[in-house]
Formats: sequence, C-alpha cells, structure tokens
Amino acid sequence: MLKMWWNQRAITPVLSNVLLMVIAVAGMSIAITATYVITGNLRETMGERFIVEDIWFRTDTIAIYLRNTGKMPIDVAAVYVDYRAQSFTALHLEPLDHGWLNVTLTWTTNTVYHIKTVTSRGTQSADYYKSPT
Amino acid sequence: MRNRRGLSNLIIVVLSLVILVVIVSNVILWSYQMNQLDWEKMQENVNVSNVARITRSSWFVTQNEYTINKGGRTSSSYLDTQIMDNNYESFRESSPPRMFDINGTFSIDLSIYPLVHIQSVEIQLKYRVDDTGEKWFLKAYDWTSKSYSDNGFNYTVGHTPSLGWNYYAVNLTNNWLSYVRNDGKILIKVHDQLPDSTRTNIEIDFLGVRVAVSGALFTLQNKGSRTTHFVSIWVNNSTEHKRYDADAFVNSGETISYQRADIQLPSGQYTVKVVTERGNIAVYAAR
Repeated sequence: MLKMWWNQRAITPVLSNVLLMVIAVAGMSIAITATYVITGNLRETMGERFIVEDIWFRTDTIAIYLRNTGKMPIDVAAVYVDYRAQSFTALHLEPLDHGWLNVTLTWTTNTVYHIKTVTSRGTQSADYYKSPT
Repeated sequence: MRNRRGLSNLIIVVLSLVILVVIVSNVILWSYQMNQLDWEKMQENVNVSNVARITRSSWFVTQNEYTINKGGRTSSSYLDTQIMDNNYESFRESSPPRMFDINGTFSIDLSIYPLVHIQSVEIQLKYRVDDTGEKWFLKAYDWTSKSYSDNGFNYTVGHTPSLGWNYYAVNLTNNWLSYVRNDGKILIKVHDQLPDSTRTNIEIDFLGVRVAVSGALFTLQNKGSRTTHFVSIWVNNSTEHKRYDADAFVNSGETISYQRADIQLPSGQYTVKVVTERGNIAVYAAR
C-alpha cells in the first residue's frame, strides 16, 4: 500500500517539470515572434527614403513627382498643404520607382505654400514652394 | 523543486539573451546600411554645367574596309577616311573600262538617335582626284527596292571636282527612312560617272554619315567622390514640366556630354533638372 502511494507521488514532479518547460518555451516563442514583428517594422521604417523630384502647379491641382530612393516600398498616407490635410490620388512606389501624386487644391498665384508629404510609416518630406505668377 | 525552477529560469534567460542579440544586431545592421546610403547621398556632388540645342549628330564613319567593286586600293586604309585630317585612303580606277565603285557600311547609333526622332540623314565626302573631267556620285542602298539609289536626295546630278580637296555633301531629305535599316545600318556607294580615257586616282580623306535631329546636349559633371547614375531629366518652363528617363553613369571627377535626340528644349526661359539615383538634384537655368 505504501509502495503504491509512493509511485503516485512520483508522477506529479515529472508533470510539473514538463509543464514548466512547455510554458517557458511557449512564452519565449511568443516573445521571439513579437521581436521579429517589431524589428521588421523598425527595419521598414528605417529603410524608407523618398525625394520630391518636381512640383507642378496645375489648374486646381498641385502635382508632386516622387521618387522612392530607399529600400522599402512606400505608400503616401497624407499630404498637408499649409498644415491642412488635402485629398490626393493614392500612390504606391516600389524601391527606385517614381510617379505623380496629384493633390486637389485651388491654389493662388505667387503664393508660398508649405507642402508636406507623409508615408504610411511616418517618413515625411516637407518644403516651401512658390506658385507661379 | 529548486532544480526544476532553475531549468525554466535557464531557458528564459538564454532565450531572452537571444532576443536581445537579435534586436540589437538588427538595429545596428540596418542603421549601418541606411547611414551608408545617406552618407553616399551626401558625398554626391553633381552639376549641369551647360545645356544646348543640337540639330545634328556627330559623324558616323565606317568601321570596316570598303568593298571595292570597280578599281583598286593603292595605299592606306579605311581608318584614314574616319577624320578630316588630310590623311587619306588612295584608290585608282580599274583598267579599261576605267571605272571606280566602292561601298562602305555605316551604322547610326540608334540608342542615342532613335529612328522616331531622326529628321533626315546627311552624307559627306571629302576627296581629291587628279582628273577633273568627270563627275562623282554618292548613293545609298535602298532597303525597300534592294538597290543603290539617290532617289529623294537633295542633289542627284553628281559633283564636278576641282583640283585640290573637294567637299561633296548630300541630304537624303524625307526619303531617308528607305535608306536606313531598322538597326541603323546604312550602305553608301561612291562611284564615278562613266568609263573615260583617263585612269583617275582618287584620294578619300573623309566619308561619313550624320543625322539631323532636334535634340539637346547636356554637360553633366560629377564633382563627388563616387560614381553617379543620372536617372531622370526635367525640362520645365512656365507652361509645361516634362520628365524624361535618363541612364547615364559619370565617374568621379569626370564630365560627360549627354546627347538626347528626343528632348526638345523650349524657347524662352526654362529650367533643366537632373536627378540622380541616390536622390540628388542638379539644376540649370537657361535664359
């Protein structure tokens, strides 16, 4: 009877040991996955570069020509003209890609505008541009 | 119980260290890479020192010896017909019937002067003969009729030489496309008028082909310490902003003349912007 009781107690330490290890490994797996995602996002943000090749004031439109000079694809998320968000045509640029970003705005001649372009990851390019006379 | 906790703690510590190393190494490697990208961009120093209109290409000369159909070569080689420098290749008419007929192969560089932007083609011959009694003719191979012809040339009556060096130039006018193959190849024939009593010696100093275009010539300077790749050219004026793809590499410290047959410069004031792959822009203002 005593021998049988002793054997039953021996199972509990083994189970608890295995359970602790499983919990530790699972916890660390989650942590590693989170690390991968976080460093991935960080890497993408760090790899973003773009320039404004040209700005063209057209009728009721400010056309901005962008070039992706970084190592990550970019999506334009917002355009601010004089710190006010404007509507624009969506633009996605792969690395080394380039294209027009058309901002709908009725501008006035001979006026200085502060134009800021922001990507979905937060990289921005801002400068002052004077409209033609 | 203490041993069991110890094992779990060990797993957590080791894996935490691994995560920490992964994060730190990723951040360090990526910032190193992007810092290098930014550093290279900062080191780039480019300039557009001049922009000019071009109406004609440089001369395209033969790269092979002429095919002699009638007559013979007496001295020198086709290399002496590539530059106007009074060094010449000598030929002589054949023994009776005294005639002369040679063909040369020329290639227009279509990568610089695409067919769609060529307006016309010109041929120029600089030659000297010891008999001024007969005319000399320039013809080109018509790829449509598959024969040599001067149909459509601005001048088809031949050239009467004088003693000393003679310049004979013809323009293929609107008919030029019949004479230029899709790969830019053009075959030119030089021949005399008719068999005559004198066995003429002919010395050719230059024979070349060039195209008439309405293009632009950009002088691009790289004053930086790294090779620069120019990727786009903008020609802007008050009414239009035109962008052209470019593909020109300039070594450190070098200046190149970059010709474009497809870029027409506007009249009046305009601005030329040249963009590099690293994201730098050089500007030239023309007045």
